[in-house]
Amino acid sequence: MEFTREIYWNVGHGAWTLIPMYLLAIGAFYILVKAFIGRVAVYKQGLPLQRTDRPGERAGRMLGNILLQKKVTRVQWPGLLHGFFFWGFGLLFLGTVLIVIQADFTDLLFGIKFLKGTFYKLFSIILDAAGLICLVMLGGLMARRYFFPPKGLESKKDDAIMHGLLFAILLTGFVIEGARMAVTELGTPLAVWSPVGLLFAKTMSGLGDQTLLGLHKVSWWLHLLLVMAFFILIPYTKFRHIFTTSANYFFEDLGPRGKLVNLDLEDEEAETFGATGVKEMSWKDIFDADACTLCMRCQDRCPAYNTDKPLSPMTLVNQIGEAAFTNPDANLIDIISKDVIWSCTTCRACEEICPASIEHVSKIVELRRSMVLMEGEFPGEEVMTAMEATEVNGNPLGMGYAGRGEWAEELGIKTLAEDSDVDLLYFVGCYGSFDKRNIAVAKSFVKLCQAAGVKLGILGKEEKCCGEPMRKMGNEYLYQSLAVENIELIKSYGVSRIVTSCPHCFNTLEKDYRDLGMNAELVTYTVFLEELIKTGRLKINAENLSCTYHDSCYLGRHNGIYEAPRALIAAAGGNLIEMEKNRQEGFCCSAGGGRIMAEEKIGERMNIKRVKMAVETGADMLLSNCPFCLTMFEDGVRGADVEKQLKPRDIAEVLAERI
Amino acid sequence: MKILVCIKQVPDMESKFKVDTAGTWYEKTDLAWRMNEYDEYAVEQAIQLKEQVKDADLTVLSVGGNQVKETMKKALAMGCDRGAHIEDDSSSDKEPFEIAGIIGEYAKDKSFDLIFTGMQSQDRGSAQVGILVAEQLDMSAVSTVVDFSYSDGTVNVKRELEGGVKACITAKTPLVVTCQLGLNTPRYPTLPNIMKAKKKELLSLPVEDLLKVEPRQETVKVYFPEKKGGGLVLEGDAAELADKLIQVLKEKTAVLA
Repeated sequence: MEFTREIYWNVGHGAWTLIPMYLLAIGAFYILVKAFIGRVAVYKQGLPLQRTDRPGERAGRMLGNILLQKKVTRVQWPGLLHGFFFWGFGLLFLGTVLIVIQADFTDLLFGIKFLKGTFYKLFSIILDAAGLICLVMLGGLMARRYFFPPKGLESKKDDAIMHGLLFAILLTGFVIEGARMAVTELGTPLAVWSPVGLLFAKTMSGLGDQTLLGLHKVSWWLHLLLVMAFFILIPYTKFRHIFTTSANYFFEDLGPRGKLVNLDLEDEEAETFGATGVKEMSWKDIFDADACTLCMRCQDRCPAYNTDKPLSPMTLVNQIGEAAFTNPDANLIDIISKDVIWSCTTCRACEEICPASIEHVSKIVELRRSMVLMEGEFPGEEVMTAMEATEVNGNPLGMGYAGRGEWAEELGIKTLAEDSDVDLLYFVGCYGSFDKRNIAVAKSFVKLCQAAGVKLGILGKEEKCCGEPMRKMGNEYLYQSLAVENIELIKSYGVSRIVTSCPHCFNTLEKDYRDLGMNAELVTYTVFLEELIKTGRLKINAENLSCTYHDSCYLGRHNGIYEAPRALIAAAGGNLIEMEKNRQEGFCCSAGGGRIMAEEKIGERMNIKRVKMAVETGADMLLSNCPFCLTMFEDGVRGADVEKQLKPRDIAEVLAERI
Repeated sequence: MKILVCIKQVPDMESKFKVDTAGTWYEKTDLAWRMNEYDEYAVEQAIQLKEQVKDADLTVLSVGGNQVKETMKKALAMGCDRGAHIEDDSSSDKEPFEIAGIIGEYAKDKSFDLIFTGMQSQDRGSAQVGILVAEQLDMSAVSTVVDFSYSDGTVNVKRELEGGVKACITAKTPLVVTCQLGLNTPRYPTLPNIMKAKKKELLSLPVEDLLKVEPRQETVKVYFPEKKGGGLVLEGDAAELADKLIQVLKEKTAVLA
């Protein structure tokens, strides 16, 4: 016998089937497109932003993320359920397309049938398996959502519609197949190539041919209507993520990772700075809300949310979307609330995990910019004091600027003003220059360089704060004035390579300063020291050390440097016990986003929470690579009352003890 | 209404001070400069008053070299309407009576309704200039004000006295008010205002035209207080502390001898 089946069996291949079917399809498609055109008009309320350059690269990323479900499956179980459902549904979709091609084109016009023989057997069993996989995965997703919901997962009408509709589509598909097989295939060798269909067929076989034919016809039309409903519902429900999330992979920020848009402060025409409403944000900020699937992954990882601050990155993104669709002139700062906006530490945990490539941090900074630049508002008076101190003395600590280089005097390090013939400029940063605890780190780093025969120079009292905390707090004006001065100074000395021991300085000089004309090469001390050790210039006498390691947000997520610090710890003889939240999942110390200048007044203290995670490892030492982290952990061990158990130290310190 | 606010540029108090070669003032190298803290309260109060009465013209005045214009720009960015810079490279050599004389000469034909100054400067701390300006202009003056309200030509203020006692004063304009900590929280200038400030009038007038009074006092000498015995905080665990203490007692006292 020929291995194939009659397409449009029982429903007929005449005008009475095809015309209503295609009319329905065209109608559904029309509604879908029209609804999306309406949504595009809403996105366009936002400001322009170039996100279609390098289209090849963008398309590659998009396909990788869609077809391989890369970002989705980073959270394993729900991710795999979604992934397999997606792949299964994709196969069912492809199968349907093949049927349409054969029945309504190749066969109709040229009499060519390809769904036969071995190809049909494979086609049959693959689609059968895909349908089963989809049902099982959907079952798993439904069980997760409705019977074992993770904390905080909200289920709305959208979710019920989506799960119910998909379930009905899959089920009617099998009923159609079962009814057809019960009449035409039972007992034939072809039946085993549709095992699930066979099961349905056997279950229904007692109904008698007449009933089966009727059931088949009804299910067929019902299935068609459900699928059309699915198309129509895409733009109106979270189904829209099929298009919007996929498109968001195309519109991704191609980097440098997390770099903020540089405001043109010289623009005489500009009347407002930052954003208070959706029309002052970019179209992408509105689009992001449409790409959000409310999966909560950002919220689950947000250090502010997890220490009882009012911020949920997911809620914030969706509030912007809701305003864009319902009240585009509304004041976002009032809707979102100031405490929410100030709570962010810009740690990027949300963006790192977001399976929809949503950019949360820049939205928050845009809102902060408006509050600071337009209203002169800060989260507290202490922040305004730090800003003013930076204006006067070039550091948020308010220390006299002239003493900035004093820490280095006993080490024989010269300023570039005294001797500009150096291997590298060490951009020390405010904490390394003025904070007693972090001066110890700066000194350790210098000793390591001296041991390796590297000649460093510093800027001394000419160096100013890099401006990172101010910029992240929204004070773009102060940031740019500091940046311009630093860049001119660095250029005037003809510096070609700069090393930093502060990841915030590193990130700012390496990324943000590029917009303002910085061209020297940047390296962070962890990568630099690893080079020195690898090439044999720096010898470290390994000595046993029980420790855990905290990935600073700005070395880790913002710059993807996870292994160099670990290699240094290994070189020092460290027996590293990782905290549960490490690398991309690292939990912020609380001091990012300019919050180093602010008091943490709401909820649990983030630094204490992180210190407790370190204590759980049983390690004696909490190693880190950032002056802000170290400052917060020194405070955290006192707050958690574990000063005796856990010693916070910088990697440079333990290395310097082992030269 | 015409309002004048007088400000002074002073070194940031976190700076490291050195006595200058003449021995009568501090060395001006390696200092960071800012608006005198008390003058910030004066500027803020003047702006709040302007915002309250709407129809007002607010002039900010400062005596000093060209660098004081930077500080004046901040006052303009906060909300002052125009700047009067009395150009004087040796303002730090002048005593309070001369500074008050200069301001009085500038203000005498301008019929200001209210003049705000800081209670004192953070560097010289004489607390005389505001009061002497009032004297020069034959206006009444209230000093060390921590609360201010204005209505229809009448000013109600609270003055801070010793021991936390407050005195409530009512006075008619024209009036000089010197401002004390606690009066208000000075605002942070917004970016549009910083931009606007760049275009505001900032006139420089030579000090020679305005200095009509003779000095009455002279700074003879400035010096650091002599270092006397200080406190010592020992840190560490008990055993360590005991060792340290014994060492200190041995080295610095005769108790264990």
